[in-house]
Amino acid sequence: MRLTATLRQFSNIGKPKFELTLAILKPDLCRNPDHTLAVKTIILNNGFYFIRSKSTHLSPFDAQKFYEEHKEKFFFTRLVTFMSSGPISVHILAKENAIRDWRRLQGPTKVYKAQHEEPDSIRGRYGLTDTRNATHGSDSPVSALREIGFFFPEFRSEQWLKEEEPLFREGKQIEFDSEEWVHRIKPIVTEQLFSQSIWLRK
Amino acid sequence: MCVLVSCLKSKLKTGINRSVDFTVKRWAKTLKRGQDPEKVKQMPVFQFVGKNLEKKTRVYTWGSAETGALGIANLVKPSDRFKKPRPAVWRPLRLTFFNLMKVYDVGCGYGFSVFAAVASDTTKRLFGTGINTDSQIGYHESENKKFLGVLIKPSPIDLPIYESTKVKKVSCGRAHTVCLTSDNELFSLGNNAYGQCGRPIIEKEIFHGSRKVNKIYGIDEKVSEVVCGQDHTLFLTENGSVYSCGWGADGQTGLGHYGNAAIPTKVKGDIEGEKIVSLSSSADSVLACNEKGDVFGWGNSEYNQLHVATSETQLNIPRHLPLKNIGKVKQVAAGGTMCLVVNESGQVYVWGYGILGKGPEVAYIKDPSLIPEPLFGCNEFNTDVKVKSVTASLSHCAAITNKGDLYMWGRNRNHCLGLDNTNDQFFPLRVPVPITVVKASLGVDHTVVLGLSLL
Repeated sequence: MRLTATLRQFSNIGKPKFELTLAILKPDLCRNPDHTLAVKTIILNNGFYFIRSKSTHLSPFDAQKFYEEHKEKFFFTRLVTFMSSGPISVHILAKENAIRDWRRLQGPTKVYKAQHEEPDSIRGRYGLTDTRNATHGSDSPVSALREIGFFFPEFRSEQWLKEEEPLFREGKQIEFDSEEWVHRIKPIVTEQLFSQSIWLRK
Repeated sequence: MCVLVSCLKSKLKTGINRSVDFTVKRWAKTLKRGQDPEKVKQMPVFQFVGKNLEKKTRVYTWGSAETGALGIANLVKPSDRFKKPRPAVWRPLRLTFFNLMKVYDVGCGYGFSVFAAVASDTTKRLFGTGINTDSQIGYHESENKKFLGVLIKPSPIDLPIYESTKVKKVSCGRAHTVCLTSDNELFSLGNNAYGQCGRPIIEKEIFHGSRKVNKIYGIDEKVSEVVCGQDHTLFLTENGSVYSCGWGADGQTGLGHYGNAAIPTKVKGDIEGEKIVSLSSSADSVLACNEKGDVFGWGNSEYNQLHVATSETQLNIPRHLPLKNIGKVKQVAAGGTMCLVVNESGQVYVWGYGILGKGPEVAYIKDPSLIPEPLFGCNEFNTDVKVKSVTASLSHCAAITNKGDLYMWGRNRNHCLGLDNTNDQFFPLRVPVPITVVKASLGVDHTVVLGLSLL
């Protein structure tokens, strides 16, 4: 195992490290099953890995806590009541430059402008209004960590970055579970180990 | 010389010149068509359609088809198994389900449509099709007793009403439906997360698979019209007062606060005592106009829709909008970012942000500006064409003229404009529907039109 780990380190040389970010599909998008599937497929086709996925329903109190940074802004109550209005779908995404790429894929925050300026972005296509803007994405590594911790308290991001991230970066041992919409690490079958050891002996 | 003439004669007889001869003859025939007007008067008139013939109601739909909101099952699940399902329909298609019914009203929500119709063979008065994730079109089961989250063709919705009662008006929001019956009862179905159904809010209520049909109480007067925004509901009474319930985070309920209202409450402010005749809301801003032609507005103003009354982005109480040089307003329409009004002489004024129908760019107009009348078909040959009513959705608009023509413009989301192309439409263009249009209901990405047959 140690040998394969070192080999992996060699094969991953030059590839930038993966970043984690949080994606929320907001209540308005989750109303429409076709659009939800379409958005998830868009994320998948853009090379993101789904590390964890879950569907939940925020209470107004939780939503207030989640959007604490916007507390002073005029749209705070609007955002809180909207986010607690229905079920949402939460995902941890991984990719190199995940935060930047996910925000770019979403498009501008204001849907009314996005649909004219960037009609192919997710918000331009599936957003309804400025508040009902289909998706949420973390804006910085710090807030990504905070938001991931908010929705997935059991998830250890540091541990993941240390142990599982090289495997995901290599990308060989990953399988996709379309039922739960998560990427998983394939358990190594003994045959594979055996063939690897033969190859090493040669 | 003689030789030449004979040569020509012989050429005339050949096949090549016969065609020339033929065109000349045809040209002469067309010339003959101009008839003496006096002779025309003397000609007998054959009337094939009686004056008293009752015209049939027809429903046409177009736009995004994958949700089943168009009500045509063949688009979503083709009966021919080699055909692929169609994601969208670019041009008007007749909804044949309602061919033998009398349709009173249609409503479009986000991915679903509701029809108020009467048929001789059923006692059902309300039909729905499309997304049903919040039970907004009633409780429907599949053969194995599972709740159906999506319906691909119109199905009857059960209402607790008498057989003789009809559904007069219907209106749909993002995920709720409100209908008004001829007994002046109001029923609501679907999502109540903000109180838009007019009943108390239950935290974390699950609407999927709910059998609840709620009767709305709290309005003492006779209701004449129901208007649904995305997440709020407005009621217009016959006396001209307005009641509201639902989401008020932008002030769209007009009740003086930014909270939710679970029970219909009378809206005060500047419209108190005024007789409101027209009320409109499709997203988060609301426009209303009274008998005298004054315009009132409340709700969201992030794109300066209400800038004449307030400098802030939200307004939680109705305010009079002192709009200048627009004449006496008859009807109003509030879209997501744009506002439209029609005045007495049938002129359409528009302001706000988006594709406003005034030129080849996304515009930002602060003060009401006229959309030239010739764009609605008023020209030297048809001088009596006027716009009768306007409707607006989130980012596209429609206008109906007194001749029953439908004009649409705006963002062509999932081909909801029905103009046979995929591009955004920057000025009003007539939609080819073969009916005299009575009502156009604009959803987020599909359109349903109710009209009368031409014959």
